[in-house]
Amino acid sequence: MKRRWLVAFVRHAILLAWTAVTLIPVYWMLNTSFKHSGEWVTWPPHWFPEQPTLENYAQVLTPGSTIFELGRQTLKVLKPLWDSLFTATASALVAVALGSALAYSWARFGTGGKNYPYSVLTIRMLPPIVIAVPFLVYYVSLHLLDTYAGLILVYIATSLPYVIWMMLAFIEDVPSELESAARVMGASRFRVLSSVVLPLTVSGLVATFLFVFILNWSELLLALTLTNTQVSTIPITLNKFQSVNEGRDYGPQAAIGAIATLPVVALGFLIQKHLVKGFSFGLLRK
Amino acid sequence: MPAARRAALSWLEREQVFKWLPFVPVQALLVFLLLPFVLLVYLSLVSWRITRGVWWHAPFVGAANFAGAVQDERFVWAVIRTFGFAAAAVPLELGLGFGLALLCRERFRGRRFYTTLFLLPMMIVPAVVGYDLSMLLIDQGPLNQILSLLAGRPVTVRWISDYRMAKAAIVGADVWQWTSLVFLIVLSGFAGLPPDPIRAARAMGASRWQIFRYVELPLLKPVLAIALVLRSMEALKIFDYPVLLTEGGPGNSTETIAVYLWRVGWDFTRVSDAAAMSLILMVVVVMYTVIAIHILRRERRQLAEEAAR
Repeated sequence: MKRRWLVAFVRHAILLAWTAVTLIPVYWMLNTSFKHSGEWVTWPPHWFPEQPTLENYAQVLTPGSTIFELGRQTLKVLKPLWDSLFTATASALVAVALGSALAYSWARFGTGGKNYPYSVLTIRMLPPIVIAVPFLVYYVSLHLLDTYAGLILVYIATSLPYVIWMMLAFIEDVPSELESAARVMGASRFRVLSSVVLPLTVSGLVATFLFVFILNWSELLLALTLTNTQVSTIPITLNKFQSVNEGRDYGPQAAIGAIATLPVVALGFLIQKHLVKGFSFGLLRK
Repeated sequence: MPAARRAALSWLEREQVFKWLPFVPVQALLVFLLLPFVLLVYLSLVSWRITRGVWWHAPFVGAANFAGAVQDERFVWAVIRTFGFAAAAVPLELGLGFGLALLCRERFRGRRFYTTLFLLPMMIVPAVVGYDLSMLLIDQGPLNQILSLLAGRPVTVRWISDYRMAKAAIVGADVWQWTSLVFLIVLSGFAGLPPDPIRAARAMGASRWQIFRYVELPLLKPVLAIALVLRSMEALKIFDYPVLLTEGGPGNSTETIAVYLWRVGWDFTRVSDAAAMSLILMVVVVMYTVIAIHILRRERRQLAEEAAR
């Protein structure tokens, strides 16, 4: 009995320690986002804003692109927020549709050969900086630079490996007898997909979509290369902020960070159940 | 239903057509993205800078760019440094992620609270993480305050301006964010473990440690392998943390491959040098990839063999 109490104590002590490690940076960002400029850097640091304010949010969330004030440049996030949302959603949708169809075709018919999923994985292994240099030249000549289509195309390609590997796990879980039975009863292949395979892989599709969405929502390097003034995502805005003000504009930046974090976290918590199912990548014995 | 449409549908239904349907757009996309690689090779063989005319007029210089890259100490150090970051961060992430998942696998009061919280870091934009840590790590920041409280005397660690501490900060940022992904992968591995072998082992009188060591761990090995492959792949690309946290400094002490290539290509406009370095990097990555894929294929083949038995 005593031993069990000890085990529980040690377990909670370790888990609480990691909870603190996880939460402090997130808390600090929220904390700073509600502070006036005088409180951003103090000693000792303030763990609660003395006079909480929404002015940081108001500054970055007003329409327009940028204002100069007292030698500081404040960037606006409404446009980048929309651009990020649009590119991340569109690319995740297309990548999930294409990638899971491909994973299905490979799992059922062996299309593309035994090694196809492995060769797709090499896309993900290439550091994006390698393609960044020629891509700029390439996109300039195709008039794809600084367009939604250009960025979305690249994101689809870089997301495909994750989609294929995650969806393989779910598709291999669908009993093929069930599909054969439906075929025998006269269902078309597309009917089998929509009525048998789709319902059984929904949680996989949801988890994959979210993961790929986060990847593209967060991507910095390629967005920095392939966009300029027309398209501008959230990570780029944050990076611009850091360079124009030498990283001293803590409040508005914290507000941007909070704005960029909240939607994804909310989405993640909604589908947490699916997430835990989706990450064994088909590598467990049935 | 019009006859033409029915004919089209039945054509799409044929196995030989149906199975290739998703491959056509994917392959088209891959070919579309392959062309820049041809361009990359071309650019690495000529001498071109963004500031110097159009690229197809640039003079051919052969392997000179490659020779220059190998002799560029800053490049060589960036490669070594990046592998060093990966070698420091990935084992920490695997160890912490595995340990935390081990503690969270069984039902207990508060389990849902912990698992929910531990997934938080992977959902945050890496650029935001880099920026966020730059606030925490300033000399008069909350981290030094906490350390002072723990030590009972004023402690000022110069996280950003000391070159060793700056390196630790980059590794710390990666570990903070990506332990959560390893945690998730291992947790979903534990959740997917087949109950029968474990029950059988328990019936035969195996202790909890024996079940873990000889039944569960071997079953989990493939899951750990993919966590290792994914994380080391991504760790070699580190870009966001140095850019937002240390700007590669102090000096070049946190300049990773991606950051240095970015500077060579855009800030110094030496596009051809950057192209040559990119190709060298590709060779290194391809070698690494071959090893990683070999590991994954072996794990999947073993699973298939066991399933067939």
